[in-house]
Amino acid sequence: MKKILKTKLPELWQKISTDFDLFLPIEKNKTLNFSLWKDGEKVNLDKVRTTTSSKHLVFPQTETYLKFKNQNNKLSLKAVKAIGDEYVIFGVRPCDVKSFKLLDNIFLREPVDTYYREHRDRGTIISLACTNPEDTCFCSSFGIDASSAPLGADVAAWDVGDSYIWKPQSEKGQKLMDSTKELFTDIDEKDIQNLEKEKSNIQEKLEDLPFNNIDLSKIKGTQQEIFDKEEIWNEFSERCLACGTCSYLCPTCHCYDLQDYKGNNHGEKFRCWDSCMSSDFTLMAHGNPRTTQMQRLRQRFMHKLVYYPKNHKGDYSCVGCGRCVDRCPVHIDIVKIIKKLGGENNEL
Amino acid sequence: MSCSCHDQDPLIPQIAVIKEVRVDTHDVTTFKIVDSFGKKPFEFLPGQCAMISIPPIGEAIFSITSSPTQEEYIECSIKKCGTVTDYLHELEPGSEVGVRGPYGNNFPVEDLKNKDLLFIGGGIGLAPLRSVINYVMDNREDFGVVDIVYGARTPGDLVHSNDIFDVWPKEKETAVHLTVDNVSKNWNGHVGFVPNFVKTLNFDNNKIALVCGPPIMIKYTLQALEEMGFKKEQVYTTLELKMKCGIGKCGRCNIGDKYVCKDGPVFRCDEITELPNEY
Amino acid sequence: MENITKKIRAVAKQALIDKEVDKILGWKKGDLWSDSYPVFITKPEDTDTLIWDLFCINNLSKFLIKELTKHDKIGIFIKGCDSTSFNQLLKDNRINRDDVVLYGIPCEGMVDPEKVKKIMLNERVREIKKHENNFTLISKNKNIDVSGEEIKYDKCITCISPNPVVYDQLLSDEVENSKHSGDRFKRIEEIEAMSPDQRYNFWKGEFQRCIRCNACRDICPACSCVKCVFDNEDAEVSGKAKTEGEDTFFHLVRAYHVAGRCVDCGECARVCPAGIPLDLLNRKIIKDINEVYGEFNAGMDSTTPAPLVTFKLEDTDTFSKKGGK
Repeated sequence: MKKILKTKLPELWQKISTDFDLFLPIEKNKTLNFSLWKDGEKVNLDKVRTTTSSKHLVFPQTETYLKFKNQNNKLSLKAVKAIGDEYVIFGVRPCDVKSFKLLDNIFLREPVDTYYREHRDRGTIISLACTNPEDTCFCSSFGIDASSAPLGADVAAWDVGDSYIWKPQSEKGQKLMDSTKELFTDIDEKDIQNLEKEKSNIQEKLEDLPFNNIDLSKIKGTQQEIFDKEEIWNEFSERCLACGTCSYLCPTCHCYDLQDYKGNNHGEKFRCWDSCMSSDFTLMAHGNPRTTQMQRLRQRFMHKLVYYPKNHKGDYSCVGCGRCVDRCPVHIDIVKIIKKLGGENNEL
Repeated sequence: MSCSCHDQDPLIPQIAVIKEVRVDTHDVTTFKIVDSFGKKPFEFLPGQCAMISIPPIGEAIFSITSSPTQEEYIECSIKKCGTVTDYLHELEPGSEVGVRGPYGNNFPVEDLKNKDLLFIGGGIGLAPLRSVINYVMDNREDFGVVDIVYGARTPGDLVHSNDIFDVWPKEKETAVHLTVDNVSKNWNGHVGFVPNFVKTLNFDNNKIALVCGPPIMIKYTLQALEEMGFKKEQVYTTLELKMKCGIGKCGRCNIGDKYVCKDGPVFRCDEITELPNEY
Repeated sequence: MENITKKIRAVAKQALIDKEVDKILGWKKGDLWSDSYPVFITKPEDTDTLIWDLFCINNLSKFLIKELTKHDKIGIFIKGCDSTSFNQLLKDNRINRDDVVLYGIPCEGMVDPEKVKKIMLNERVREIKKHENNFTLISKNKNIDVSGEEIKYDKCITCISPNPVVYDQLLSDEVENSKHSGDRFKRIEEIEAMSPDQRYNFWKGEFQRCIRCNACRDICPACSCVKCVFDNEDAEVSGKAKTEGEDTFFHLVRAYHVAGRCVDCGECARVCPAGIPLDLLNRKIIKDINEVYGEFNAGMDSTTPAPLVTFKLEDTDTFSKKGGK
């Protein structure tokens, strides 16, 4: 472990950005997003939640994978390589770090999505523990420890007042720290104490959060039984606007569409984010198995809370980041649904 | 593929050539497809599917109707019902399309060995069954008695007429039972819906049944088979949902925790019972 | 506010008991201080969950389109901006006046949770208390007194119709018009003052953050098409591609499509997860309409013909002549 003074950060950004694309939480108007850092950008490492998640770095919202020409039904096809350089992303919160693993389960499973793999391999992830978790955070419900060094981060970092403590967790992480070592200093006994204090501060705050009592293990019933709770699904879908805010802000939603840019005799095929909330998601030429918003909303939450865990050793497709809780225009959110399904520990 | 020597993304199609076009009915055409070297584009098992693309019109998934034992090409029988299929129907031999696959699981032909088989098809649903039927015919000694029940709206809607009238009935221990929904002048055969027809045929229930057709036909046929004493474990069918990737990632063809493109399209009926009714 | 909540519950309960309406649209409280959301009630006993507080921001009028296909008569609680949206829906022939009972609630403006969080930086807000003219933000460790201007939504601060313009019953005394309503076009003027390049770059920067979630469209009471062109695969619009051209195209088409019908309720900007000030696009068009045709605010009534969507034979710039010349 090493530490770096906060006053040295601009130098660190400069240094890293000479070798890598550097993504940091950058403020623009009312939003905070992981954006490419350039000198002069407003970096905000205090607010825990970025507006959108970090998934766009490994799963871009729109990505061309094929260029084609089609002249009188004679084709030429050219696969397009994944675009992007090696990058470092700093400030990824433990919930978002976990989301990479959940996306890996989908994209790195055979047959491997080579675009995703490329983006994943090119990145060095530096996590940052959550000094100030927000009201709508509930990552603890998914076994995520917001004070910890999360599995999957190449470097784990903590804010200890005037400096950050960095702990390398992988070869990649060690390499990055080696290449910037002149900006770091060794830590002493006092720093260790500060780190422990920071961790217990965070723990204390986490325990005080409003959704601290969410307990998914309390959700009882088979897939079929939960599916059949139409009264609950109706209650939520009634006000659902069918927009894609929840899906597009979600760090674990991974559904995509394949579409064509149509030109004259030539064009590109691209992959883009899609949402199970939209009416055409399952529309076929001869029908649609999900014609109502109730069915579509049910799909989203069944997927996160029941289907995905069945397919992935009990892991839920949610990390409790709270973005959907915060931003749903009509306050439909996964916490309300978990509670309605019984996922609450009332003994706390 | 995890080795970097084959680092082609699974979404990238290969160029394929339409070698032959055979008009089956007013809205069904069968396409023989080869790769750009004139060879079979890929190996597959009966029941599996191919993703065919016509950039920039679109991409859609089709069951393969030829048998894996056919070594020269793959065949897809395609009904005209949307943007991609409309365009496909306009294509002439020599036209190039994109193709990727094979996708999905298959009818468990190994488990079917030495069993008596009952194929039940409706309309274009004969397409995937034909792949298994021809596989069985090419390995005839391995399988028991074969009954093929097939129905369509009108005699003019029966696909693969050569097979159903001329080829299969002549095979050893094989019977073809045809029906149409509507009375027609040029029809001396049975008239009536497939599920009822199956019941009147009084098959003994020691067979394995493979059912494929439009959803409503599947639904009533499965009921009919149950009434005839078939256990769910003896019946296989295929399901169809909107698919984009074909590899279980894009997330739209799921029924409960199963993805039809990856875990299906072939399901044994006891597996279907465990799925939410959303297909 | 507690008094209005009581009235809401009583009125709703009676209307359902008397079968005057089949369903009530109102607001309900969630678990967090800022969480007030639309609720649909059919049982008289459920009316006790209805509330009126500082966060009843959701415009309920648009839900009528969908709900009236399932129910004959609906009772709805409406603020000023909900009422102008309601009028616009009437004018667009999307709903019938006779199918709805309107309970008007004069509104002094709603509180923007984001502004509160900014002031209470890293403190967990537990409650917000309203006094005569200001508010107290309460957390575990501290209380902060603020004025309404500091925490209300921008759109509420410059609101031009705090009182419902159409109702069957008004649940409280009318409130005074906002003293800042005259500042409605201030931001527009700032943007107008930019050079074309600056302006282009401003909007380019804004649209860049768009995530194409369609929340702006889906919440908009003027976006009431049965099938949106951006949802139509055959429309040759790559609706889901995130590119500069597509993003700009989407927002400009939408702005023009609601021109003359936009009631300036500001919901598009409120729900935008990317914080794009979409209401400015429409407010610019409103400002232009005011300058070209005289002052016009959509939704003030349900009968006045709207500029841009109304055609008269004697118009100088008619569609009937070639190319409008």
